[in-house]
Amino acid sequence: MTDLTPITALGGTVARSEDFGVLRLTEQPDLSLASLSLRKGQGVPSPFGLTLPGVGQSSQAGEYGAFWIGRDQWMIEAQGTQDIAAMLKAEVPEASVTEQTDGFATFEISSAGGAGPLEAVMRKLVNLDPQAFEPGAATRTTLEHISVFLVRRAEDRLAVIGMRTYAGALWHALSTAARRIGAQTDGELAK
Amino acid sequence: MTRLSKGGLIDRDARLRFSFNGTEYSGYQGDTLASALLANGVQLMGRSFKYHRPRGVFAAGSEEPNAMVTLRDGARAEPNTRATMTELYDGLSARSQNHIGSLERDLLAVNDLLSPFLAAGFYYKTFMWPKAFWEKLYEPAIRRAAGLGALSMQADPDEYDKGFLHCDLLVIGGGAAGLSAALTAGRAGAQVILADEDFALGGRLLAERDRLDGAEARDWVAITRAELDSLPNVRVMPRTTVFGVYDHGIYGAVERVADHLPTPGDKVRQTLWRITAKRAVLAAGATERHIPFADNDRPGIMLAGAMRAYANRWAVTPLKHANDPIAIFTNGDDGHRTAMDLIAHGARVLGVIDSRADAPCFGQYEVFPGATVTGTKGRQSLYAIEITRNGQSEWHSVGALGVSGGWNPNVHLASHHRGRPVWDDALLAFVPGPNGPQGLIPAGAAAGKGGVADALADGMQAAITALLEIDIAAKPIPLPQAENAPAAQEAFWHVPGKRRAWVDFQNDVTVKDIVLAHKENMRPVEHLKRWTTLGMATDQGKTSNISALAVMAELTGKTIPQTGTTIFRPPYTGVSLSVLGGGDTGPHFRPKRLTPTHHWAEAQGAEFVEVGPWMRAQYFPQPGETHWRESVDREVLAVRSGVGLCDVTTLGKIDVQGADAGEFLNRVYANMMGTLKVGMVRYGLMLREDGHCYDDGTCARLAEDHYVVTTTTANAGLVYRQMEFFRQCVWPDLDVQLISTTDAWAQIAVAGPQSRTLLQRIVDDADISNEAFPFMACRELTICGGLRARLFRISFSGELAYEVAVPARYGHALMQRLMEKGADLGVTPYGTEALGVLRIEKGHAAGAELNGQTTAQMLGLGRMVSVKKDSVGAIMSRREGLAGDKRRLVGLKPVNAQKPVAAGAHLFAKDASRDMANDQGWVTSACYSPHLDSHIALGFLEDGDTRMGEVITAANPLEGQEVTVEVVSAHFVDPEGGRLRD
Amino acid sequence: MLIPHPLLGLRDAQEFTYLGDASLMHRPDPAREDAVAAFADYVFLRDNPAGVHRELWFHEAGDRSWLVVTRDTTTHEILGAELASDVKLGGVQ
Repeated sequence: MTDLTPITALGGTVARSEDFGVLRLTEQPDLSLASLSLRKGQGVPSPFGLTLPGVGQSSQAGEYGAFWIGRDQWMIEAQGTQDIAAMLKAEVPEASVTEQTDGFATFEISSAGGAGPLEAVMRKLVNLDPQAFEPGAATRTTLEHISVFLVRRAEDRLAVIGMRTYAGALWHALSTAARRIGAQTDGELAK
Repeated sequence: MTRLSKGGLIDRDARLRFSFNGTEYSGYQGDTLASALLANGVQLMGRSFKYHRPRGVFAAGSEEPNAMVTLRDGARAEPNTRATMTELYDGLSARSQNHIGSLERDLLAVNDLLSPFLAAGFYYKTFMWPKAFWEKLYEPAIRRAAGLGALSMQADPDEYDKGFLHCDLLVIGGGAAGLSAALTAGRAGAQVILADEDFALGGRLLAERDRLDGAEARDWVAITRAELDSLPNVRVMPRTTVFGVYDHGIYGAVERVADHLPTPGDKVRQTLWRITAKRAVLAAGATERHIPFADNDRPGIMLAGAMRAYANRWAVTPLKHANDPIAIFTNGDDGHRTAMDLIAHGARVLGVIDSRADAPCFGQYEVFPGATVTGTKGRQSLYAIEITRNGQSEWHSVGALGVSGGWNPNVHLASHHRGRPVWDDALLAFVPGPNGPQGLIPAGAAAGKGGVADALADGMQAAITALLEIDIAAKPIPLPQAENAPAAQEAFWHVPGKRRAWVDFQNDVTVKDIVLAHKENMRPVEHLKRWTTLGMATDQGKTSNISALAVMAELTGKTIPQTGTTIFRPPYTGVSLSVLGGGDTGPHFRPKRLTPTHHWAEAQGAEFVEVGPWMRAQYFPQPGETHWRESVDREVLAVRSGVGLCDVTTLGKIDVQGADAGEFLNRVYANMMGTLKVGMVRYGLMLREDGHCYDDGTCARLAEDHYVVTTTTANAGLVYRQMEFFRQCVWPDLDVQLISTTDAWAQIAVAGPQSRTLLQRIVDDADISNEAFPFMACRELTICGGLRARLFRISFSGELAYEVAVPARYGHALMQRLMEKGADLGVTPYGTEALGVLRIEKGHAAGAELNGQTTAQMLGLGRMVSVKKDSVGAIMSRREGLAGDKRRLVGLKPVNAQKPVAAGAHLFAKDASRDMANDQGWVTSACYSPHLDSHIALGFLEDGDTRMGEVITAANPLEGQEVTVEVVSAHFVDPEGGRLRD
Repeated sequence: MLIPHPLLGLRDAQEFTYLGDASLMHRPDPAREDAVAAFADYVFLRDNPAGVHRELWFHEAGDRSWLVVTRDTTTHEILGAELASDVKLGGVQ
């Protein structure tokens, strides 16, 4: 093990988390990522027992997850910090695998008030219909001019995965939206 | 006080205080500023734009041309706010605009006396000559006089927001048609958005005394609103103006979230919504037009429908003195409704002056059939009108006059996307045409179906039709029993006469101006508009345009549809720049990218510079350094003599894999990449297909089928896009996969003669000796006890140098570790300035040289464009114009070493005159070289490679600078490259 | 504008960058006799029709696919969108 101390994408030694009313915004530094691209003519594999999801979807198998990022291309996720690229390459030696863990900063927005407040935040951030973006959906889009992946983990949880060097700007955008929605009353949030 | 003793949609228990021009008044919850001022007997609310005529409120909605005020004080002051759209709140403060001195005694009213000189085209005719007067005299004077209100010149303290909404059906307008459309769609389970610019839903239902199911219409509105609010699939958005229709069902809307509050508190002031709607119903209602007649702009004269709205919705008559009689001037039945409603409220009605000889009468009031209003009296408040019938005129005392010239459907949004409205002869109005925006269905008064029963049915039908198109079956809903009011009218557009008759109140355009425009051949509507400024004020001529067209049609002998309308464009009503800006200002104006060592550099006191979206350390001032050059010189010398560290993460990194990765790179780079040995790096030059240089970087081969290529910071995204273009659009048969990894790795340049010594202290067990790890080698290895890393032996500075990459989260710690481990070696962090000096000293091209106009030949890299293979740009680079370009990159050293050379200066032979014919090139980059203790520069010079030692001139005629320079090799440092390889 | 992405459905045009005429996919054969003239034509000469136009859009803030979008330049009506690689390979992956 190296004796160098890592920092989070926001520059801290511990993950940042902040509550805004019923909404919670959390930095998730312990998600390992590697991209998997199929070689020409290669069949779709099942690394770590994952069923690689179809267009715009994500899938889960134990500690591993995957979401679709392009044609014949997925992002593979694993909880905890590990050498995921090497592990994935061992699973699918014929595919193109690229380490992506530190390419991204992952933030999760969760709602203690159900889907409503989460969808209200989404409406302030991305031009996607939150009602059509159901649990399990995953896509890349633009958020405050920043390209991000969104993965709807559940009705009330959304992962926003953006380029790591934009982490500060992304936190500003997410926290500003969460603050404004979090300050609204139940009545204002009803729709 | 002219508040009626009962009625109205106001809460008489909620009294609100407000001030206008410093005078305290009070009104009620539910009032607008306009209704509250009228209730206090205030008729005079502003001054007109050009003639500074006293003006009162003319309308009751967003079309208001006259009652423009500056709302709020200090930094929140907002000019040109319509009193008719301003919801009253406790403590509201407003001021009138466009006057010097008090509103009552405006010194600029002298303009009114000058009106014969201020006719149509005045600006164009007057300020043409003498030409020299424009900049110094005319423009400043016009700018001072122009405009109604003035900005506070302070930063807006409020927050603005933006957002995105999606729906099946967007209903624009919440009147009879809009409510029935929304209810129909809501009950069918469709996702519905109902937006209305008013703070209360109901539209004209609130302004009329129509009965629905035998009860007051407001009861049905309340029940409907409650049902809509209860439906989870319906979003009701009052105070929201849909201002524009854009491609493919996208609508722009502004929600005034907190405009009705004294201060926004924890709310945003306004939100800009982009609504994506599968279908939309335009139920925007209609706007009443007036009938121009002599002196028709006095306070106390207003649209008859507005007068009705003030009486019915706000329980107000627009009188200065409560018991004065009110007259109505109309060309149709609608004017009579106002008379009937006023009588019902107990007001005194002089009578209805109806232009029709066979004018009807619907109640107990006098009718003046076949009559017109031909004059008025009362400078600041109307007190008399002249009624003319059969050539006989007589004056009557009145306190207010309502004018009704018919209703124009609000075709605005239906006429975006160059949809042209069409003329309806029966309605005497333009209605939405068949070629409006796709998916937008006009309904109700906006479609020319303004009767209540018609509007209710039409709204429902529009919703059913719209939803059917997107496969949602909506059933008809039971509609309340209603009747259409009589609406017969005649085509009567203006009262001829010698005195001025205003058409456009806000911009002071009169019938005479239109006559003059016609005389001067400014007859097409677009010319008429520009010549007279008709419809060009903040109200965009909502109450005036059609009347003006009718007058022009009369003059040309054409019909109104032949005359046509001007093009309709967004926004429907004014939208503040603050909300269009979306909210983020100052440091958050655009998102920034921070390098992995940003926080470390901050702690070192680095100065930062914006490089595209990136914040990069520019230099690291040390105690005692008072000028940036001291820091930069020190950093440069430290690299040349010891070792320096620089975060170079910003360079783009693209992971290229696949069986055909080498072949793919052969094709996108000018030089050969397929032959590169695993474990080695090669400089790569990329051309555009037109043969010019595009970008440069390095290709490192990590495995047979795996490369990592770098791009310049500025072109990272563009090169990736270009590579994907070739991969997908040109050579999709190749087995190659691309993905960006720019952010994944923190990459630090370790440069200088001591760099290997320093790196050997952190590398775990790999041999990085010169023999084992020569110049241009690369390797994946571990450092600092097992951290996976990539090491590249590449150099931008010309010194022995490396770049070491680690997972980004360790960049900060690695920088600290290198600083600790290199303390005895004099390790020095350096920023982009020193980086620039080092590369200029070495003669490496960067953005200033790769500016899109240069060729490989010019850079001295002509032989890199391989002739053994095809590559992007190779063919075109061999064109005579490019291949024959004689300019070459050279070094330039001023004869006086301490005399700086300006980048951008042009190069001339020593005694040549400084003109284009003798221009031989230009200076691309310049700096002070501490290594040489001299200013130096790089530049492109004709035949530069054969002119070493020649003394030429770098001239910057813009600033009168000339520097005598000697042509030298671009490699000021170590031209043989020995240092790189030791 | 909304681009009907063949895989992802209607997407905000702001996620895309625009390149232009889809004829850019047909890079001339560099070995042909008149290669310089053919490349000059390819690089510099484009049709700019008022009407139906096949053009290249890159889903940069999306799945990074290049699309051939058929659009009426006079109305912005979009008549179809295909993956450029499918078009190039003749519909065969």
